[in-house]
Amino acid sequence: MTGKYFGNPIKRLEDKQLLTGNAKYIDDIEVPGQLHAAFLRSDFAHARILKIDVSEALKRPGVVAVYTAEDFGDFWKPGPLQVPPPTAIPGSKFNARTLVPIAKDKIRYSGEVLAVVIAESRYIAEDAFDDIIVDVESLPAVVDLEKAWEDSSVLVHDDLPSNMAALVTQEVGNYEEAKKKADVVVARRMLIEHVAGAAMENRGFLASWDDQNQVMTIWANTQSPLTVRGSVSRALGLAESQVHVITPAIGGGFGPKVMTSLTDDVLLPWISKQLKRPIKWVEDRRENFLATTSERDQVHHCEIALKKDGTILGFKDVFYHNTGAYDSYGMTVPLNTQTHIISNYRVPNFYTQIRMVFTNQMVVTPVRGAGRSEGVFAMERMLDFAAKEMGLSPIEIRRKNLLRADELPLATGITGQDFVKNTLDSGDYLGNFEKCLQAIEYDKFIKETQPKAQKEGKRLGIGVVAFTEGTAVGPYEGCKVTVSTSGKVTMTTGYSSQGQAHYTVFAQIIADQLNVKVEDVKVITGDTNHFAWGAGTFASRGATLVGTAALLASQKVRAKIFSTASKALGVPEDQVELGEGSVSIKGKPDSAIPLGTLAAMANPMRGVIEPGVEPGLEATAYYGPPHGSTGCGAMGVILSIDEETCKPVLEKMVIVDDCGTMINPLIVDGQLQGGISMGIGNTLYERLVYDENGQLLTASFMDYLMPLATDMPKKLEIIHNHAESSLKLNPLGIKGVGEAGAIPPGPAIVQAIEDAFADKGVEILETNLSPSSIYGYLKKVEHK
Amino acid sequence: MKKLFPITVTVNGKVYERQVEARLLLSDFLRHDLGLLGTHVGCEHGICGACTILFDGEAVRSCLIFAVQANGHEIRTVESLGTPENLHPLQQSFTDKHALQCGFCTPGFLMTLVPFLEENPTPTEDEIREAIDGNICRCTGYEKIVEAVHDAAEKMSQKK
Amino acid sequence: MKVEGEHLFKAPREVVYEMFNDPDALGAAVPGMQKMIKLDESHYEAVLGIRVGPVSANFSGNLSLTDEVPPESVTLVIEGKGGAGFVKGVGYVKFEDLGDETTLLKYTGEANIGGTLASVGQRMIDSVAKSMFKTVFEKLDKILEERWQKN
Ligand code: FES
Ligand code: FES
Repeated sequence: MTGKYFGNPIKRLEDKQLLTGNAKYIDDIEVPGQLHAAFLRSDFAHARILKIDVSEALKRPGVVAVYTAEDFGDFWKPGPLQVPPPTAIPGSKFNARTLVPIAKDKIRYSGEVLAVVIAESRYIAEDAFDDIIVDVESLPAVVDLEKAWEDSSVLVHDDLPSNMAALVTQEVGNYEEAKKKADVVVARRMLIEHVAGAAMENRGFLASWDDQNQVMTIWANTQSPLTVRGSVSRALGLAESQVHVITPAIGGGFGPKVMTSLTDDVLLPWISKQLKRPIKWVEDRRENFLATTSERDQVHHCEIALKKDGTILGFKDVFYHNTGAYDSYGMTVPLNTQTHIISNYRVPNFYTQIRMVFTNQMVVTPVRGAGRSEGVFAMERMLDFAAKEMGLSPIEIRRKNLLRADELPLATGITGQDFVKNTLDSGDYLGNFEKCLQAIEYDKFIKETQPKAQKEGKRLGIGVVAFTEGTAVGPYEGCKVTVSTSGKVTMTTGYSSQGQAHYTVFAQIIADQLNVKVEDVKVITGDTNHFAWGAGTFASRGATLVGTAALLASQKVRAKIFSTASKALGVPEDQVELGEGSVSIKGKPDSAIPLGTLAAMANPMRGVIEPGVEPGLEATAYYGPPHGSTGCGAMGVILSIDEETCKPVLEKMVIVDDCGTMINPLIVDGQLQGGISMGIGNTLYERLVYDENGQLLTASFMDYLMPLATDMPKKLEIIHNHAESSLKLNPLGIKGVGEAGAIPPGPAIVQAIEDAFADKGVEILETNLSPSSIYGYLKKVEHK
Repeated sequence: MKKLFPITVTVNGKVYERQVEARLLLSDFLRHDLGLLGTHVGCEHGICGACTILFDGEAVRSCLIFAVQANGHEIRTVESLGTPENLHPLQQSFTDKHALQCGFCTPGFLMTLVPFLEENPTPTEDEIREAIDGNICRCTGYEKIVEAVHDAAEKMSQKK
Repeated sequence: MKVEGEHLFKAPREVVYEMFNDPDALGAAVPGMQKMIKLDESHYEAVLGIRVGPVSANFSGNLSLTDEVPPESVTLVIEGKGGAGFVKGVGYVKFEDLGDETTLLKYTGEANIGGTLASVGQRMIDSVAKSMFKTVFEKLDKILEERWQKN
């Protein structure tokens, strides 16, 4: 489907405000009379609180109030489970220990909030930290995932018998039987390191209680304004209509901004109501590292069983997943891992077990990639190890096992994050892979480029992997489309935006349906007074769910345009023509009525419609898919690496991607490129390091290295390989693309590094590869 | 009460006289005292480049400078470039090439690139990447930013 | 963080050992030491200002000497906290008599560091600790020179 706008690289409508410094982000919002909050955070990762004395802080000029857990009385309680437990999976165990808004009795991670200081300025609020006396008895910290799982471990939650947060086993076929029949079985233990979302804008929250009108207005850079509205109204005993959540411009999300029931969104509205003053809090970067949620951090114990010719008979993966100190976000991440391990290949027998474990670390929730990267990494690496063991090329083994277009849709039998059995719906997995091999010129590289470089004393390596991206999960999203009397169109949705071009792509869909100029469609996102139903921005679901809702709503409006015009023009509907911004009788341009005028006529006050007919050129629609979709693709990378410095240089990268129908290819490319930079960062630069005492050692950009412009591939090629079959999924055939780029760089780059050192037999078992860790791997084989 | 120091700073051509605390960061001064909110703060420790401004014509990080140090100096922020109705050619290329997503890092990139393009009107791709190597963008993967700089350089040198 | 090292003092073992029990000597030797008070034979209270890269702060804490085997060995236990985090550590110090009126001090220890000091300053901690030890020993050498050689 293409239209005047749909499917075309339309320039973004939101850019001008952003480019000129006119867009307002959370820290740009000022409400008269506002006070500032600062959070005193724990230096200890695990400790019992003996005493917190704030009396001196209260004496400091400019300090208005200081709160510790005790001051909140009954209001203090553990937060809700933001995502339900995996009850749909038989035999699963889940121990809910949800986030507390402020530590009481016990501290469970370094950075957990101990006191909230409210002052005239942020500078004063932070000064007051020096006045607060915190007395604790420190406890040994739980840091290592595998040790934490053992019965002998120190406990993060004293009331549980162990640190087990969850245990979920899923099996299709029978792995042990398959193993018996196998010619080759390969087993490995692999680490997938802990990384941050690290949006350039930190989190922020402003709560303003209007005592006169009894309304709480909240500005928050959240990915889920409706969840915030729901939890604030519940906590304060207000009607939802009394809580108005507004999302300003948001400086990137990438997952962590979906988390609620944190200190700010629970306590600041309460404090604002108490003090009857607006309260603003904006996180600093260190706080973001310490206490905003992060992800990855799994240890996989994998086994793959194969026939002599490389055919996979079975796969087993028992993995430890760090949930941090609490598990409010349920099991989205490890369930994504389970579905993605086998999502590209024919795996008749699959056994997978999640061992989700509490540790004295910040809470783990989805970050772009969200469990998918981990699953794909585990499978792709195991294929590489198996291929080496059997003397096959990494290409052959993949060709042999990749799913072909005619095998889809395929029910894998594994239940995913949406608690629905996973279906690989559409796509040409093998075709993607072949296209990628061609684009990266695999054969030429192996036959000419690599040997030639070798002669010149240069090391080059190549890696090619396949991936899928589970996208567009339910439950639903919605929107309202209205033609106003000026002829301009407004779409409102509860979905919030963090830079994904929603203001443009939704407008493209609507503009085509209503035949108006795209710039005449104004999209309002994430304002609960405009639209109050929906779930939130995550799992690459905006284009599919909100996009489809926009299509459905604008189709309804279109139908109303025709019925209203038919009355206004006095002709049957099939005689009505919808021109750009006006309606007329077919063949009689003189009869044209501007759309705005028609909108006025659609008001029963003075219009052509009779009572009983829904007024206005306006309609609301919702869309919820029966199950998530699956984007798919392949990635190839060629890199050079110097044996002395061990710094990889990405010479060329190709991504082949099938994200279904594209609303705007410019935006899709941007999503892929951004995702890829994150995947590169996760593989070569970024890592959250906790020491054995649970201290985060990388809480600034000096130590947590972000990928920069010079770290990107010298050449990056994007190939869209959209399978027509996706059209059956939803009316627009959209799958989603937000996370795709972040998924394959890990296994592709690691395979290429191993290839560059093939003569040495280097084997890499982790995701985070600083030059010094690559050097370590080299030394290890040299010493063998 | 903390001691206040009088300062006089020219920002985007306008002279401001203010009393500030010695510890007030220039970034906070611009944003909260002068209300010039286009300068963003991403890390407060000089790494991300989001807070980049021009200090006597040179791109510097306003989170690493105290407001008092700006006394008597001339500052330009993103607000001095174009307006939504009349974008600066670099801003125009940024939107044409889709070089921004969330836009949070963008003012810092623009303020880094304006003096760069003045000094080097026809940069190579490597030079562009070097020039923006001190600015972090989490959204775009930098590809389209590099494209936009090429585009702007071409258009700006044609105009001359 | 683990620390380990040794230093050769040009004085007999008893003298060196004595010096380690003298708050005035220790207080003067540690850079940034603002105050050091002897509470009893083996407990001290101290306030120390330190600077690690971007982090600088005052720490107040306790130092205790345990397992004293004069003049052979002693165990130091320190606990300090301040606006920038906390430090807890144990150090095992041995004094070896090399004859000829020199003493070899050997130390090993482990410190647990938390808060801003760890999360922002950790890259610098090792080198700061090394340079601190260096200064401490240089100062102690001077003190010894004055005290021992004068006598
Ligand atoms: S905020 Fe100044 S460099 Fe990051
Ligand atoms: S556009 Fe979001 S950080 Fe650059």
